[in-house]
Amino acid sequence: MSMFEKNLAVIVARDPVLATALRESRGGAFNIIAARNGQPTATVAGRALHSAYDPRREAEAWATAQAAVCRPGEVLIVLGVGLLYHIEALRARVPCDTTIGVIVPDLNELHDVCMVRVLDSWINHVEWLWSSIERVASSLAAMNAPLRFLVYAPAAALHASAHADLERLIRQHVSARVGGQVHVAVVGPIYGGSLPIAKYAAAALEQLGHRVTWIDHSLHQASYDAMTRLKDPRHRATLQSRLADLLGQLTLARVAEDPPDVVLALAQAPMTLPLLEHMRKKNFVTAMWFVENYRHLTYWQQVAAGYDHWFVIQKKPCEDALRYAGAKQVSYLPMAAAPAIHCPLPLTPEDQTTFGADVSFVGAGYANRRGLLPRLLTNEWAFKLWGNEWDGVTSLAGALQLGGARIDTDTCVKVFNGTKININLHSWTGEGLDPDGDCINPRTFELAACGAFQIVDDRTLLPDVFTEEQILTFGRPDDLAPLVRQWLSDELGRRQMADAARQRVLAEHTYDHRMRQLLTQIGVSQPDRVGAILQGERQASALMERSDAEPELIPVLAQFAPQERVELKDVALRIRKRGVSAMLSREDLLILMLDEHRMETRDLL
Amino acid sequence: MPDEIVRRGLVVQLARLGDLVQSLPAIASLNAQAKMAVLDLLCPAPLASIGSCIAGIERVLAWEVERWRLWADRWGSAREETFTEIETYLKMLIPTLYNAAFNLNQHSRSMLVAALVSRHVLGPGDHGPLTKDLPPWAGYLRGVVRNRDRNRVHLADVFCGLCGVMPPGTAPRLQLPPTNLPEDLSSIGTTEGPWVAVVVGAGDAARCVPLAIWREWIRMFLSASRGGGVVLIGSEGERERAYGIQDGMSSLSLGRLWDATGRTTLVQTAALLSHCQWVIGSDTGPLHLGTAVGARAMGFYFAQAGVHETGPYGEGHWTWQAKPTSRREASAEGREGARVDQIERWPIAESVRLIVDERAGQCDGWTLWRSYLDRWGVYQMAEGVLEDPGEPREDVWRRLHRPLSLKALSHEYV
Repeated sequence: MSMFEKNLAVIVARDPVLATALRESRGGAFNIIAARNGQPTATVAGRALHSAYDPRREAEAWATAQAAVCRPGEVLIVLGVGLLYHIEALRARVPCDTTIGVIVPDLNELHDVCMVRVLDSWINHVEWLWSSIERVASSLAAMNAPLRFLVYAPAAALHASAHADLERLIRQHVSARVGGQVHVAVVGPIYGGSLPIAKYAAAALEQLGHRVTWIDHSLHQASYDAMTRLKDPRHRATLQSRLADLLGQLTLARVAEDPPDVVLALAQAPMTLPLLEHMRKKNFVTAMWFVENYRHLTYWQQVAAGYDHWFVIQKKPCEDALRYAGAKQVSYLPMAAAPAIHCPLPLTPEDQTTFGADVSFVGAGYANRRGLLPRLLTNEWAFKLWGNEWDGVTSLAGALQLGGARIDTDTCVKVFNGTKININLHSWTGEGLDPDGDCINPRTFELAACGAFQIVDDRTLLPDVFTEEQILTFGRPDDLAPLVRQWLSDELGRRQMADAARQRVLAEHTYDHRMRQLLTQIGVSQPDRVGAILQGERQASALMERSDAEPELIPVLAQFAPQERVELKDVALRIRKRGVSAMLSREDLLILMLDEHRMETRDLL
Repeated sequence: MPDEIVRRGLVVQLARLGDLVQSLPAIASLNAQAKMAVLDLLCPAPLASIGSCIAGIERVLAWEVERWRLWADRWGSAREETFTEIETYLKMLIPTLYNAAFNLNQHSRSMLVAALVSRHVLGPGDHGPLTKDLPPWAGYLRGVVRNRDRNRVHLADVFCGLCGVMPPGTAPRLQLPPTNLPEDLSSIGTTEGPWVAVVVGAGDAARCVPLAIWREWIRMFLSASRGGGVVLIGSEGERERAYGIQDGMSSLSLGRLWDATGRTTLVQTAALLSHCQWVIGSDTGPLHLGTAVGARAMGFYFAQAGVHETGPYGEGHWTWQAKPTSRREASAEGREGARVDQIERWPIAESVRLIVDERAGQCDGWTLWRSYLDRWGVYQMAEGVLEDPGEPREDVWRRLHRPLSLKALSHEYV
């Protein structure tokens, strides 16, 4: 009997369907060669999947490191098949009741393994997840246990796209049913476009039932502005830098006084690398939602390594650039809308006169807009221009509203609602359209949420979030005016498209959705911490159910409401409230002792 | 009958190196006066090697703070496993309860540990781990820190009081095991000397002697002392400071200045200090470690460091105490010394002269104190300083002392 048949005989005993599928597969995924020690090893397109000297020892080192971070009760999902040395080593290093699942995107790889390695009975103590990615994601998400993903990078790199799809699908499944209350500290910037986004994010988190500590640095904008007025640029830079450092310390003090589960900073938040490293030492989970174009604002390079999680509004090459700069976890998280604010609004006749128009544009006077928008000046329609930084564009002076003042969100919403065709042209400092235009600005979602019709310049990531039936795009500057002309006379068509876009936003693109996705991503990465909270495992009822082994804690837990989140500090506080002369059990003392060590986060400053 | 019962005591000292060394008199007195059959020590794991060098300590229990932090972090997600792990750890660390825990720290963690490991607690937490009431000696210590009176009882002697014993009347020494030093450091102390260990850092920048002062001090010492040598002492994190001191030193230092920062274990550091006649530095763990291995200390005390509370323990040590720079500091904030950035002149030449010629001098802005030892513990005297000595130490002892009751301990054990 050949090695392949012997291995199949082991597999068929537990999983005859897999055995049949393996027999029908062709193999040939790997180039098999002998390592220096004689063990088989594999390459793909010249890239080694295992050590060329001692594959088993290399796999053992990997498995030892992975096993050290795994916690009891977790399901381990391994990405990367290779010749299974690492799986065998991992199986030997974790308890036998720990479930190990291996994602198999290509059965030919497993076929190759069966051809060259003698697979012992351990192979039947591993779950082989080889059906479609959708089915695998669905079954994993349905598991009633925290998932921990372990990546064997050399082999996983062969299927990066499939693994990304799997992660996205699992996130979707899990986010639909998360329920626990996470405490999130949202750190906003001193000023700028990400400030309202930070507020929307904080509001969304509260809307989802989480606890939010809003660290609002916009309170200090007046001081920052006062420094801006200094004449000597050195004075200005020094003092603004010191103010940013001070606000960083203020952030530390706030999180020290009420330690959150996650510190979520929005782009431009005054968080420096030393500050972030300090937070990491104190075991805080940090995340950054970088709601800026990474090509325009480049300070991310200095802090990439500081955050545990990066959420960005661009995909490759942005994600790669961040990883190259030291970011550990980078995830795509596009912008969104806040339907409570960005919503259809009936305008009074006076407002319609003031804010309404055939065609409008809202935004600052970037170079590309200065060049393109004058093309909309025509007698065929009324064009209004809203926003600031339009100095020097004389041709647009007649269209400019409110003397070029910066306009607030309420006014924006009125303009969106009162305009037949809203022009949405992404900012760029060059002429024409941004040749690298990928990310989608918040305006796209806000206009859609208002049920307003828009024409937006083409963005490579737009098809991910809207279809052609929902958003109208243009790919060349010359196309804009003809499109306006065509759609201005098609009121029904505009209405249908705008309604479809609004429905899409409400279904998929609100800040509620984004915050749910963000927390789920962090939870999936940290199943024992944020993940457990999201699953409701820290709520009093869940703790009561698991208190069989510690009946002494039941009276303490019974003092909490069933859905109330119970943390160490809460239990310790109840014990302390019993008074200084109370008799303390050994469990009480241990809880107080643990709480004393937890409270070291207060030493942050 | 009580004498026939095995009395097992545990000294709880979870603070830093300096406090551990300052606990030596209390441990010596507990052995001599309380006649504990077994006396163990609980100290932070990084200090366990020094704890093992303390005479009269049978077993050193290493308190692993990082483990507790990890457990605290994990408790919410894996409560049962966490408790199981803690219990396993505690059973290995402390298989049976002690008759008495002598707690020398005032923070909650120490009081909780003491309550966990013993039926009977002496020192802070003696009325339960949650109590805010302090035993008399602990209250005294708090008052000293607040009021900073003169002629007060030294911290190490207060530790004795907390344990219910009198000071030993001598300065106990550490018993170092045979220790190999890095080869290039093994010649330190083998020539005529004097050899001076310079403690380059003090953790917090506000407690550090400026690098320029050290450079000047070493230059002047090497000039004044023909056979003298200097060894720089410090942790890995203080190597940069050591480089800074050596940077720009003249050829005078060639073959006479040794840098041991970050290159030795704690026991090796103690061995190195034992090869030196002097140790000089601010109020730091290594300064006190030096006194515990036989070196004479020359302290530069400023900011919050006070010679009367934490001066070098034993007889014949010198301490330069910076005077308060203003009436406000001398009253509202107690008798706190000048901050390092307020010090205009350092007693460089004066301290070098003391080491080389044994000649005491004066330096503007500083008071020079010499340490003495009697049955009430260590005290400090300064020539030419006429100040109200405050309550005599003898009276303080009579007022606060509650001798350890062996019967009580035996009763608890029975």
